[in-house]
Formats: sequence, structure tokens, C-alpha cells
Amino acid sequence: MHDMLPYDRMLQEYLRDELRVLNAHLPRHQKSLADLLREEYPHVACNNGSTHLFKRKELEYLASLIGADEQEALLLPMLIELGQNQGEAAVICGEEVVEEVISKVLDMPIRCKQKRITIYKPQLALLRRKLKTTTQYVFSPRVRE
Amino acid sequence: MPPQLIKVRPTKTELIKLKRRLSLATRVQKIVRDKLSILSMEFVETARESVEARRRLLDQFSQAYKALSIAAGYHGYIALEKELVATEVGSKIAAGSRNIAGVRTPSFELTGAERVIRGYSLVDTSSCVDRAAQLAERCLESIAELAELQRSLELLGMEIARTKRISNALEYVMIPGLQATMKYLYMKFEERDREEKTRLKRIKVLLQQA
Repeated sequence: MHDMLPYDRMLQEYLRDELRVLNAHLPRHQKSLADLLREEYPHVACNNGSTHLFKRKELEYLASLIGADEQEALLLPMLIELGQNQGEAAVICGEEVVEEVISKVLDMPIRCKQKRITIYKPQLALLRRKLKTTTQYVFSPRVRE
Repeated sequence: MPPQLIKVRPTKTELIKLKRRLSLATRVQKIVRDKLSILSMEFVETARESVEARRRLLDQFSQAYKALSIAAGYHGYIALEKELVATEVGSKIAAGSRNIAGVRTPSFELTGAERVIRGYSLVDTSSCVDRAAQLAERCLESIAELAELQRSLELLGMEIARTKRISNALEYVMIPGLQATMKYLYMKFEERDREEKTRLKRIKVLLQQA
């Protein structure tokens, strides 16, 4: 038999640290695409004090997909929620323009349910390939057995 | 290896605590698995992109050197060197970071690499020099891109190894240990019940004899 305390402490600290580290990169505020295009070095400040740099090429690609009015409405980085199901992810969709962008990037019709767009692993890989810096992962600790 | 039992007092309170710990361990395991799956996906993507970027860079280098030899052949080495010696201009690189599932990876973007005016005399040089300069500028962009991908690949690989160790520790040591301890406690309680029953029976017999 071994002592329980170190294990217990490790577990508690691991969960706390892991969630803190995993979600530390989330932006304090999202910025609109139009604002980011106006900046010399487009970036957002993160919760952990670091900055997240956007690639101008990606911003220009997004701008080419939508109109000028929608550029004001599209908030970046777009958040991809993980942790509900192993095989799928959900893009958090606050505005209708997110739905339009994701649909155009994945080249398929998409429906938004309860402010979430459900996508599967192959689509997630494609989305991340095209929008590397304009999307970010959010880990949800909820467990649904 | 059989799961190690945790040292606890055989009480119901400890069993409740163990149940809570098991639930917590399961949650952590779920998060770790999610993280590992995402990291693996990103690693494969980065590796693929890295191979493509390397191939592209080699092609661009080959084209750039070819264009430079043509320019050198056309103007002569001395004349070309004389023209290019005063045209050195530093390139700007925007360096930042981005976070992939808890891994902080670098992000480089070369700005203003492609120039319209490069500093050498347009009268004394030909389009061969322009072509060589243009191709060399493209190489710079690809170098920055490859550097970013290579470093990201290394960091992702290290994080995958670390996460895998944690996942294995949870799966093969901690969770089985907790389950075995809970099973041990259940057995203890059952044993205690049996002892209690036997004791009561014995008391009953003694009372009947008295």
C-alpha cells in the first residue's frame, strides 16, 4: 500500500494546472476582422498576458470571403470548443457571419444549433489548416458519459 | 503489474472520498485524451506542412541560384558584386506566438520582403538581376515559414510525449489503484458484516445456554 496524499494532491493540481494552461491562451477580448486589418501587427492580448499574433494572409483570406459590413461583425479569433465528444468539436457561433465563413471555408452547408456549429475531426483538420491563427481551441471540462 | 492499493482507513467516509477521487481522475483522463488527440492531429498537419515547405524552399533555392548564375554570366561577377554591394537592406520579421492546446508555438511573418526598388542601378543592370533578387526574396519568406513549422513540430512532439506519459500513468496506475482500493474497502465492509453476524449468533447461543 502506498500513501494517498501525494497522489491526491497531484491529481488535484494536475486538473487545476491543466485547465489553467489549456485555456490560458484564450483572448481577453475578441477583435473584429475590420479592426485587425487596420492594425500594423494584428494581434489580441490573451488571459495569460501573452499576445496572439494573426497572420495577415489569413485575415486577407477571410476578408475575401465576406463583405465589408460582415467584416465588422466577425470577431476573431473564432473559438472551437472541445471536450463534449471525442470525435467532434463545436465552433462557437455568436454571429451569423461565423456560420457563413465556416460554410465557405469547408465548402459545405452548415447549421448553427444553440450557438454552436458541430464539426467532425476531418473538417476540424481542414478548418485548422486554412485558419491556423484565426481559430483557437477551448477545452471544456464537462464529462458526458 | 497488479494495481497498488492506497493506504486508507476502512471507513465509509474514506470510500466516499475515494469515489470522488475516481470521478476526478476520470475527468482528468478525459481532458488528457482530448488534448492528446488534438496535439496528434496538429502534429501530423504540421509535419505535412513542414515537408511541403522544405520541398518548396529547395525548389526556390535552386531557381534562385540558377537565376543568379544567369545574372552573373550576363554581367560578370565583378560588375554584379559592385551593383549589389550597396543594396543590403534588413528585412522586418513580425515574431509572436500562438497557443495550440497549451503549447506555445512561435509565429513568424516576414513583412516587406518583396520590394519594388531594390537599391541597385536600373540602368546598369538587366532583368536577370531583378529576377534573381525576386526569387531570393521569396526564399526568405519560405525560410521564415519553415523555421516556424520546424520549431512548432519539435514543441508539439515534446508535449505529445509528456501528455502520453500522464495519460498512461492515469490509465495504468492511478485509476486501477483507486478502483482496487475501493474494491478492497467493499471487501472489508463485507467481512466486517460477516464478523458482526457471527458475533451476534455466538451471543445468541451464549444467551440461550445461560
